[in-house]
Amino acid sequence: MKENYWTRSAKRAANRRQFLGGAAIAGVGAASLGLVGCGDDDEESSSSTSPTAGATSAGSSPAAGTSPTAAPAGASPKKGGVNVVQSSNVYETVDPHRTVASPVLQVLGRVQSKLLYFTNPNTGELAGDLAESWQTPDANTVILKLRQGVKWQSAGPGAANPAAKSGRALTTDDILYNINRQKAGLLADGSKGSFGRKAYWSNVDKIEATDASTIKMTLAKPSAAFVQGLANEFNLIVQKELIEAVEGKHTEINADKVIGTGANILTEWVPGKTISAVRNPDYFLKDKPYLDGTHWIQTFEDPTAYRIAFEQKQADSFTDPDPGVVTALNTSNKTSTYLRYQGVANTVAIYLPSTQAPWNDPRLVKAIHLAADRRQLIQQLHNGLGKSSGPVSWLQEAWAITQKDLDALPGYRADKTADLAEAKKLWDAAGGKDVGEITWVVPDTWASRAAWSATPEIISTMFNKAFGTTQFKGKTAGYGEIIPSWSSKKFDPFFGWIPNVEIPDARTDMTSAFNSASPGNIWGVNEPDKIDAKLQKALSTLDTKEAQTLMREVQDLVLENGQYGRVIMYNYINPTLYWNYYQTTGPAPETGWNFLNNGLSTLNEWINTDDASYKGRPAPTVKSL
Amino acid sequence: MFGYILRRLLLNVFVLWMVATMVFLALRVLPGNYAVAQFAGANLGAVSDETIKEAERELGLDKPVLDQYIEFMSKAAVLDLGDSFRTKRSVWSEIRGALPYSLELGGLIVLVGFLVAVPVGVISAMKQDRWQDYLLRGVAIGALAAPVFWTASIAVVVVLAFDLFKIDVTGQPHLWEKPIDALKWYLIPMFAGGLASTANTMRILRSQMLEVLREDFVRTARAKGLDERQVVIRHALRNAMLPVMTVMGLTLATIVGSQIVLEQMFNIPGVGRLLFSSIFLRDYPLTQGLVLLTTFVIVTTNLVVDVLYGLLDPRVRFA
Repeated sequence: MKENYWTRSAKRAANRRQFLGGAAIAGVGAASLGLVGCGDDDEESSSSTSPTAGATSAGSSPAAGTSPTAAPAGASPKKGGVNVVQSSNVYETVDPHRTVASPVLQVLGRVQSKLLYFTNPNTGELAGDLAESWQTPDANTVILKLRQGVKWQSAGPGAANPAAKSGRALTTDDILYNINRQKAGLLADGSKGSFGRKAYWSNVDKIEATDASTIKMTLAKPSAAFVQGLANEFNLIVQKELIEAVEGKHTEINADKVIGTGANILTEWVPGKTISAVRNPDYFLKDKPYLDGTHWIQTFEDPTAYRIAFEQKQADSFTDPDPGVVTALNTSNKTSTYLRYQGVANTVAIYLPSTQAPWNDPRLVKAIHLAADRRQLIQQLHNGLGKSSGPVSWLQEAWAITQKDLDALPGYRADKTADLAEAKKLWDAAGGKDVGEITWVVPDTWASRAAWSATPEIISTMFNKAFGTTQFKGKTAGYGEIIPSWSSKKFDPFFGWIPNVEIPDARTDMTSAFNSASPGNIWGVNEPDKIDAKLQKALSTLDTKEAQTLMREVQDLVLENGQYGRVIMYNYINPTLYWNYYQTTGPAPETGWNFLNNGLSTLNEWINTDDASYKGRPAPTVKSL
Repeated sequence: MFGYILRRLLLNVFVLWMVATMVFLALRVLPGNYAVAQFAGANLGAVSDETIKEAERELGLDKPVLDQYIEFMSKAAVLDLGDSFRTKRSVWSEIRGALPYSLELGGLIVLVGFLVAVPVGVISAMKQDRWQDYLLRGVAIGALAAPVFWTASIAVVVVLAFDLFKIDVTGQPHLWEKPIDALKWYLIPMFAGGLASTANTMRILRSQMLEVLREDFVRTARAKGLDERQVVIRHALRNAMLPVMTVMGLTLATIVGSQIVLEQMFNIPGVGRLLFSSIFLRDYPLTQGLVLLTTFVIVTTNLVVDVLYGLLDPRVRFA
């Protein structure tokens, strides 16, 4: 019997109520969906891995034609089909070097290549993209061997741009240009540009092509984590001729400004309306991608429209700021859909201005760290979908304190009794009650989500209750106010998203936060022997296990000091629902990937037309070459 | 009459200037701007103060507010509404793309409203204080009380439940391109919006009909032996419709408001949806342009209704 509403409804209970709840927020909550910290909604898996145990000293790309390791439903991937995904509302540039927002990269990541990519973004396992192989003989040197026969795309609007050199072979000069451009932070006319990865590339002291296919980078300071940065989603390789021609108009979004060496060719890019990409016939991995193309549809600013699109198979995936809506929809379509969970890389944290009175008293800082109830917030704000994070986020799996260990540490224990008693003691001893009104600042982009709108009150109440006071208040503010105030180190206590996850390797993120000389160390942490030296040693060694031990020691010290005012709380999890016909190769769907997965989807996703859920799916169209 | 129209036009210009000034100031009072909003989905580690400042420079948001206001007003005076921050296309071009969708939906809402309100209002009046009247009035009050998103949500649930038809929220066809597909897409919003506007019109029409049906000329018409159908439609309804027209003009503002919600819900890329996202993203030029356009449509419609009212009813004199 054909599955219909009534057969499905027999299996569900709260679904309708939750649907109406979703409708009730009528655009307000969902409008923020594509805007704020919602992470990527196209989490994917990998086709192959090339991990090297222990030190990340060398690696190589999967050979062209490598078979995928697994498929969710046991079916073999086959070519063909177009997938339909929701686009972002805002794309601020066509230049990946000048963006700081991942929506741009979700488009460009399908068209342009990187030097390396993560085959397992949780642990940081790498494979070669444009680089055929790589070596890190020491923590100061990276040697890359470029893949042979890679060509810039020769079809599509970008290739047709008179400024582009379509069909040209990729050379070492292209790589040198991309790195030097970002390192210098200069545009072709010599003016200064805003390059988001300038700080990363500044560590490259010298870069040279030692032969026609080999690039050698010598770092200014040792960094065993540097090589992972080459797989960072921002480090896409652009063509000099075209990018320089469009530098002055890089914010005017159009497909004719984009060319790459990637799996897809962009055929149209109209922000807020439609985006199309089709298979690159000259892609260097001959059996990839599986899909004929990808069609990004207009952003759904309301969950009703998104839900209609998903239920009627006009879109292949569905997500919502309220995880309950997503899981309910899965429940009502249990046999034909599956959920994937993705940790959101923008960590939720408290920032305290610990260089300023009264927060320069470590007892107050530690009291906040101990009193913060992470579990309560995960339950209240995220339907229980999230996990507490230590100084290193659980997303950085190989470097984080394990959840079991973390749950036994002060501030993270399920039973808050002892933590709250200690927190109150510290608060009272430091004269916390006498410091007057304390205002928590919550980003307006956070509070604009219907489900999170009460956050300022929730946070205030949590600490008022913990310390038996009424001095905590809450307010919202824009990042336009918040970010400059962080730089000045004079800011109100903050609760919201913070940037602490760059790559799976946590060494550089921790150095940025706690090294005494780092501009990112806004808490004035100054522990040259206990922290700086250990971080430096961790970055200098190619022995990953040794580095992880050192990092654990640093984390323990940070936790002992109430995290110095950088009080990491948790990382929440976004569920995304897929029809069974949408599949990717790699691990079982419920595993998912935590973050940093752009580009993997391009290679591994496919449409299973034989799956029962495929029936009734309208044939999507994509603008052809 | 021409003097009256001229005075009203001048008043409308004043209203437009006031609205333009208010929306300009209101947007700048709101926290954040597009330079920040566009990075809202970013990894904040990469968003430096310098990045935001550069974006503000590119958008002209680094200029003093007074300079921005003078620039905006001087351009608006020659109908140049500037370029959208988000798409970098002219605001007029954005409006050109969105307006047909809003006109289609708005037209259908008005049509549904009119086609339902008139017979229901007449029947209710003719069956005054009988069960039909109570039922219709009850339904009308219910429709007036129910938010459009609620009515639309219920309808969506039913359509999805029975797989009744495809609601093409991704194809977004125009009526003239794929009329059947477009009508299926518009069906729920047009009835949800139409019913909401119907309720008010129906109740006004009912009370007007009751008043007119007691007039001497209606009694005369009946006394002359005209059948009831002719009495109601040709004599009573035509006279009762005059105040209803004014109400329908005023209802336009309500319809515009409903459209913002309905366009969001059904992914209709019309003016309402554009307005919502432009406010959310702090796309100042687009928001200002759309508010001005909406104000222009409302004040112009009301002027036209007032003028038509005078033309249709010779007793009305323009002061």
